[in-house]
Amino acid sequence: MLDILKQIYYWLDVRLGTHGLINEQRTGYLLPRNINVWYSLGSVLLVIFTLQVITGLLLMLYYVPDADEAFASVSFIMNEIPLGRLVRLFHAVGSSMMITVLLLHMLSVLFMGSYKSPREIHWLTGFILFLLSMGISLTGYLLPWNQLSYWATTIATDCANSVPVIGSYLVELLRGGKQVGYQTLGRFYTLHVGLLPLIITILIGSHLFLVKRTGVSTPPFGLEDTSNKWKSDACVHEEHPDGIPFFPNFLLQDLISISLYLACFMGLVFFMPNLFIPSTSYLPANPLVTPAHIKPEWFFLANYQTLKLFPSEIIGLTVQAVAISFLALLPFIDRGSEKHPLKRPQFTFFAVAGILLWISLTAWGHYS
Amino acid sequence: MKMHTGLALLLTLIVLFPQLAGAAGQPVTACIQCHSTLPEKFSSPVKLWQTSIHAEHSIGCNACHGGDPMDPAQSMNPARGFRGVPDSLTTPTLCGGCHMGIAKHYMNSAHGRALGNGGPTCVSCHGSHDIKRASLALISKKYCSSCHTFEKARLIRSAMSRRDTMLMAIEKKIKLLKIQGVETDPLEKRLFALRNRFHAMFHSLDIKLIIMESDHIQAELEKNNGAGGAGTGPLTGVMAIGWALVAALLFYLIKKNVE
Repeated sequence: MLDILKQIYYWLDVRLGTHGLINEQRTGYLLPRNINVWYSLGSVLLVIFTLQVITGLLLMLYYVPDADEAFASVSFIMNEIPLGRLVRLFHAVGSSMMITVLLLHMLSVLFMGSYKSPREIHWLTGFILFLLSMGISLTGYLLPWNQLSYWATTIATDCANSVPVIGSYLVELLRGGKQVGYQTLGRFYTLHVGLLPLIITILIGSHLFLVKRTGVSTPPFGLEDTSNKWKSDACVHEEHPDGIPFFPNFLLQDLISISLYLACFMGLVFFMPNLFIPSTSYLPANPLVTPAHIKPEWFFLANYQTLKLFPSEIIGLTVQAVAISFLALLPFIDRGSEKHPLKRPQFTFFAVAGILLWISLTAWGHYS
Repeated sequence: MKMHTGLALLLTLIVLFPQLAGAAGQPVTACIQCHSTLPEKFSSPVKLWQTSIHAEHSIGCNACHGGDPMDPAQSMNPARGFRGVPDSLTTPTLCGGCHMGIAKHYMNSAHGRALGNGGPTCVSCHGSHDIKRASLALISKKYCSSCHTFEKARLIRSAMSRRDTMLMAIEKKIKLLKIQGVETDPLEKRLFALRNRFHAMFHSLDIKLIIMESDHIQAELEKNNGAGGAGTGPLTGVMAIGWALVAALLFYLIKKNVE
């Protein structure tokens, strides 16, 4: 058996140079020696995305994307299919956890200044990935066709109405009709299982390629930085001659973080599954009965509350568009080279204020 | 003519601005609109009805009094089925038109056999406009001792209260399972049917069947308690978390060793 494996390895090595490739990754891929645990969140996100794909594919085996059948099929998965409840909870809780870990990943990048030159494109691809993750969660939210998802989608798509001139056309484009109905379900399903996962996979690949190509950024604190710096006159792979090897050192750190994440995730799935799934999620959609309190998913609550704060939706949407554009283009606005959060107090002040504002709006949206 | 025009205008306004109507779910009819504006003697039934189980389920005045509730001009026309105040002798038959099982039990009971000889009709206990939901609270000294002593009624009440509490507990449990995504439709339907039968049994006072039926549904509920939850029990959860933490510890120790 071992001989066969060795022969396959040799066969591949002759053709692809796998031995050299693996050796290069084992010994040649050095990371900053002051690298910290926050850098492992990217790997955690990869695991989460993979789990979402696997559980999503399993759910697709029994889910019926038809307005008359969708709710019953989800109920069937949860009640009749062996381990169906577990798979569905993995997928539903996993989507919220994906956003949570993404937010933590982005915050660590912000505070450690890793978005700065020459990593503007890294930030941009990451930011688009964040927006797409919210999009894939929004489209997936409708699929169980329950009261909450139906009405939350009605309100979410209705926001497009406030766009001048083309608002009503946009709403119809999103819904596939005047109302949220079976056409909307078809559109959201296509986006959720086809287009969005494809774009996300391509962007994850691009993001990883960029990180590998430029080299991992050095944290602004901890041990002294020994990397060869980018001088902005030529493309330089940032190397860390005195750094630590990715394999096995940082891979083990990745595995520790992934295991700890899985422990938290299992805790939520097994003991607090309804933290992210309100009870109205278990009532079938009824277009004739509007529930008393319709709320979007927790990560849209700040947006939802912002819309309510302004006298007209178009102002609320414009404010949010400006804020999102500012964040997306941050590396092109913040051109300073200092990365330590305490040595750039203005940035840290506004970043903390922004986070507190977001938390307050989210809490306000939840309790309003 | 003026009054009819006014009523028509009022109904039109209510259709256009539904918030002008009464409590959510209650039907807004010509009867209610007109009687609400009349002196106390004629408007008090509306207020009483609004607190009733009938109002809760959108059962309007015409269900008992007949007539056409959507046509203000003809609402009290006998040609449209208006029958006015039902005669007490025909009340059980009238109510039994909808509550068929209950009417049958009532007719076979001591209460039913005394109909026309001072025996109580449906409205004696349930009220005529503020119609009350059938519950153990109706078997009370207030109602029963107005005709006979409460002693026998007390025995019946205590015998039935255990099952009533159980039905409420089952309902609570079903609600809890429902908000966890467990398929509860068959259980809800069975509980609904059982509760109806139980309430009907009030009138015959035969509780043996109810005890047997509620035992069956309780057993089924226990069986369904873990429905669809295979693999999501607390023990599996503890094991999954445990394995993840052990893996984290193992990787940490290897990492320390490597460093």
